[in-house]
Amino acid sequence: MTFAQVLTPPSVGWIAIAPEIVLGVGAALILLFDVQYKPKRTHLGLATAAIVATAFAFAIVQYDRVQTLSQATADQAADFVATAFPFDAMIVLDANAVFGRFAMLLVTGLGLAAGWRLFERLGARAAEGLALMLLSATGFMFMASSTHLMMVFLGLEVGSIALYVLAGITRERTESDEAAIKYFLLGSVASAVFIYGVALTYAGSGSMNLLEIQGVLARNIFTRPAVLLIGIALMVVGMGFKVSAAPFHSWAPDVYQGAPGGIVGYMAAAAKIGGFAALIRILFTAFPDFISTWGPLVAGIAALSMLLGSTVALVQDDIRRMLGYSGVAHAGFILTGVVAGGAGTGEVWFYLGVYTVQLVGAFGVVAAVTGAATSGAGIDAFRGLSKRAPFLAATFTVLLLGMAGLPLTSGFVAKFGVFTEAWQAGYEWLVIVAVLASVIAFFFYLRVIVAMYMEEPVDEAVAPPGISVRASLALASLITIVIGIVPGPLLSLAGEASPL
Amino acid sequence: MTDFVWLVIAFPLAGAVLLHFLGRRLGEPLAGIIGTLAAAAAFVVAFVAALPFIVEEGNHGETVMLWEWMPAIGANLEITWDPLAAVMALIVTGVGSLIHLFSVGYMHGDERFARFFTYLNLFLASMLTLVLGGNFAMVFLGWELVGLCSYLLISFWYTKPSAAAAGKKAFVVNRIGDFGFMVGLMLVFTNFGTLAFDGIFERVPEILDGSTATAIGLLFLVGAAGKSAQIPLYVWLPDAMEGPTPVSALIHAATMVTAGVYLVARSATIFAAGDAGIVVAVVGALTALWAASIAIAQSDIKRVLAYSTVSQLGYMFIAVGLGGYIAGIFHLMTHAFFKALLFLGSGSVIHGMHEEQDMNKMGGLLEKMPVTGVTMGIATLAIAGIPPLAGFWSKDEILGVAFEYGGVGIVLWVIGLVTALITAFYMTRQWFMVFTGEPRWEEGVDPHESPRSMTVPLIVLAVLSVGAGFLNTPFRLTLEHFLEPSFELVKVAHPPEGLGMFALLAAISVGAGIAGAAMAGFVYSRPREIWERFQGGFGGLWEAWQAAYRVDDLYGATIVTPGRKLSERMAFDFDAGGIDGFVNGVGRAVRSAGARTRVLQTGLVRNYGVGFVAGLLAVVIWLVIAGGGV
Repeated sequence: MTFAQVLTPPSVGWIAIAPEIVLGVGAALILLFDVQYKPKRTHLGLATAAIVATAFAFAIVQYDRVQTLSQATADQAADFVATAFPFDAMIVLDANAVFGRFAMLLVTGLGLAAGWRLFERLGARAAEGLALMLLSATGFMFMASSTHLMMVFLGLEVGSIALYVLAGITRERTESDEAAIKYFLLGSVASAVFIYGVALTYAGSGSMNLLEIQGVLARNIFTRPAVLLIGIALMVVGMGFKVSAAPFHSWAPDVYQGAPGGIVGYMAAAAKIGGFAALIRILFTAFPDFISTWGPLVAGIAALSMLLGSTVALVQDDIRRMLGYSGVAHAGFILTGVVAGGAGTGEVWFYLGVYTVQLVGAFGVVAAVTGAATSGAGIDAFRGLSKRAPFLAATFTVLLLGMAGLPLTSGFVAKFGVFTEAWQAGYEWLVIVAVLASVIAFFFYLRVIVAMYMEEPVDEAVAPPGISVRASLALASLITIVIGIVPGPLLSLAGEASPL
Repeated sequence: MTDFVWLVIAFPLAGAVLLHFLGRRLGEPLAGIIGTLAAAAAFVVAFVAALPFIVEEGNHGETVMLWEWMPAIGANLEITWDPLAAVMALIVTGVGSLIHLFSVGYMHGDERFARFFTYLNLFLASMLTLVLGGNFAMVFLGWELVGLCSYLLISFWYTKPSAAAAGKKAFVVNRIGDFGFMVGLMLVFTNFGTLAFDGIFERVPEILDGSTATAIGLLFLVGAAGKSAQIPLYVWLPDAMEGPTPVSALIHAATMVTAGVYLVARSATIFAAGDAGIVVAVVGALTALWAASIAIAQSDIKRVLAYSTVSQLGYMFIAVGLGGYIAGIFHLMTHAFFKALLFLGSGSVIHGMHEEQDMNKMGGLLEKMPVTGVTMGIATLAIAGIPPLAGFWSKDEILGVAFEYGGVGIVLWVIGLVTALITAFYMTRQWFMVFTGEPRWEEGVDPHESPRSMTVPLIVLAVLSVGAGFLNTPFRLTLEHFLEPSFELVKVAHPPEGLGMFALLAAISVGAGIAGAAMAGFVYSRPREIWERFQGGFGGLWEAWQAAYRVDDLYGATIVTPGRKLSERMAFDFDAGGIDGFVNGVGRAVRSAGARTRVLQTGLVRNYGVGFVAGLLAVVIWLVIAGGGV
């Protein structure tokens, strides 16, 4: 590389990482302003919301760019490569990445609004919390948009470490500290497993770039691909941990129960989006030819997750733990779509999008009922909620029915989509397991609804939720219903979201 | 032409929404009247919309599109308005309206009066979605919602632990059925690529091979057996009697429990393409006999009727299973009338007897409650199959279909006859125990006839129980002609041709009915000592019937308890033992910082990691072996 080349900035489309830049710079600015000017917390919150909105605007610009790219003709090929694979093909600008950003930013915005009371309670540390939230979103968005395993890992770590800290941000609460330490310890093991998988993949294929790996595998026949296979396995396990698929789920119920109520929804949703985005990117881009090998493996993890998640959720008396185990089951449902390979990408993204919105909303309700800064949420607090807080009870009902997959909610369309893909890919048995699990799962969602509507209230007034909480919960429920009734637009949008 | 038919669903739905928000303010009896009017309005709309089928022979009806939901998979909000849907809608809204009216009197004074009508309206809207839906997605929506409403209404008096438990049981057992139904739906969708009726039933012969059709049929049967309380999933229905009596009449006798019969009739082409039909019929016959025998020895007035419902649904399954769709729907209709009447009558009795349900503590009520007594007597004769009442015509048509089928059909016919005899026996027994003989009331009970709002529905239903049979007699097949366009794609099974054959079969079945009724009348019109001697004559058999063959205990020991143990073990031993042990360890560690390292090194880490590492190893080993890595 000559001196001149080093000095010339690479002619890359900064637009490819514009949302991440906005969030990262925004996080830094929030911290700086906080130190210098001690702004009001409300102002900090509004600034954060503005940052997220700006990032979202850039994501829309990116979507437009991707649309143009997809119509590129042959003579524009060079231009296409430069725009679609900037930064030496570390980053990719494709529909998969853009959809990941849409989902991630939506969840961040909702999570911010739903958990706002937590940030108010944090006092002087509110800015730290907000910055960490933005940083973790940055990391997980990189997981969706990188084609290089090193970048994926960096995104994973940026996102995860911010989440570990968020889990324990109410420092004075032992339960939260417990959750944070547990999350951190187990998360580190998972990261180590993942990076070891990356190393073995590199050893097996000679590259860490997913597209190159795919090329190498397509050109060569491996007689003894053990190293590569172990690499795939370890990466799947690492991501399985992030999305809380069984048997790598053990942290989820405990962390969801222990972490501060206001942030749990965001934590759970963000980790799921990041994990699945990277998982489908790795499996579909680099190893599509190995689908007959990893397909059954993913199917096994999916089946175990669905069965374990839904049966264990039945006997939980803490709503947060219940949602944690239901999250395990949902990871299984989404993996049911993953086994279909590239054909199922749209359905997977659709499921991921609608479920994470429900998740943030549901934890938002839990935080509004049992406190944004506290741990745990016994079912007793929800008895007779319809009388004490009809708005919260109604939104929770919509969100739970959405998770249960009742027709006319987004959850039904999502489940139907992944089930169909898996069935058509030849995994009939997995669909039967999935149907069984959703049959069981209906029961524990209903149990909460019944407790809210048909049981006598305990004498405990619920503080009326603030405007931001109300708005975010209303939005999450509205999305659940509207997408359930008019799924067409989102289905076609998600349908485009296959990785390049 | 009939694109206003969506109003049939909209009226009760609007009623439910209105009552939910304003019910408490409207209070009693206004909330009940509004609920009743919503149901009645739906009936009127359904009736007007059904007129074209009566006027115009061979009218197939039409599909009314309301909203393009997911056109790609054929799941739209659309209504298939054909004769079958019309019959179902008329039954549901007609009987539904009467039961709403009855409830205004029955629920008098209940503190959640308005809430009750909210649920009833919601149930009607759900049930109508099920029977009017033009694709399986809508059927599924209705299917789930009626289950939900049934659950809410069974445990309406949730402060009674038995009611809450019964609601839960109904829900769980139904979910087992739903599982079969849902897998069946997946199979339908993956074969046809659509859920719309229009794209499925006509293409069955070209797309489905015999074994796939059988598989779908059997899976649908599982779903139908759950909803319609057939062996082995019938156990929830008797317990469902914990709900208020109008609920038993509406949901657990006249409408929701017939959803399974409707499903089989609607999917007739699929059943015709495979061999699942005969299984449906056999399940129905076994259930009919099994439940009837249990009903003999029940002493709770509602449990007799519950087992009787299970048994009668068995008849309908025999019919639709053998291809006698019109006979099945015919019996569904007449049964809705006389069984709703029986339930409402029993409600009237319970009301008059101050919530007493034990028939041993009744007797001699005819004088005190003449309207209830006479109308229930009519219903008893109807269900016993005494001509010319409604039950005679529809039951005979089913028995005729079985006889004509030959082979296994003859066996089913014999079972049906025996069941008819038993049915006549236990129903007559009930009537005599309740309405004749010496009063055996508890102290302080002062029976009285129910108010007008309750007796009027009884009288209307009694008229229908007498007259509805004439809709479809061998002399005049009105219902048959009406329904025919809905079953053009299949060969509908009929009773044997010829009036001589009809007379012979009718004589046999009427003989069985009269024998049963006479036997019961002979015994139970006498003093109590006589029945006790009679019952004692059966020895252990009577006790077995009384205890419903102890099937609940069997299920409890073989399925429920192990299932709960498994779930708890997974949660508390497998998941919590390993994981929570670690969490608690960390918790302690944090509280006493100095001990942290020590705790982490005592093996708790190893504990939590067991699952993770075991999973990891399994994954790696699987991939390497399956991928041919070594």
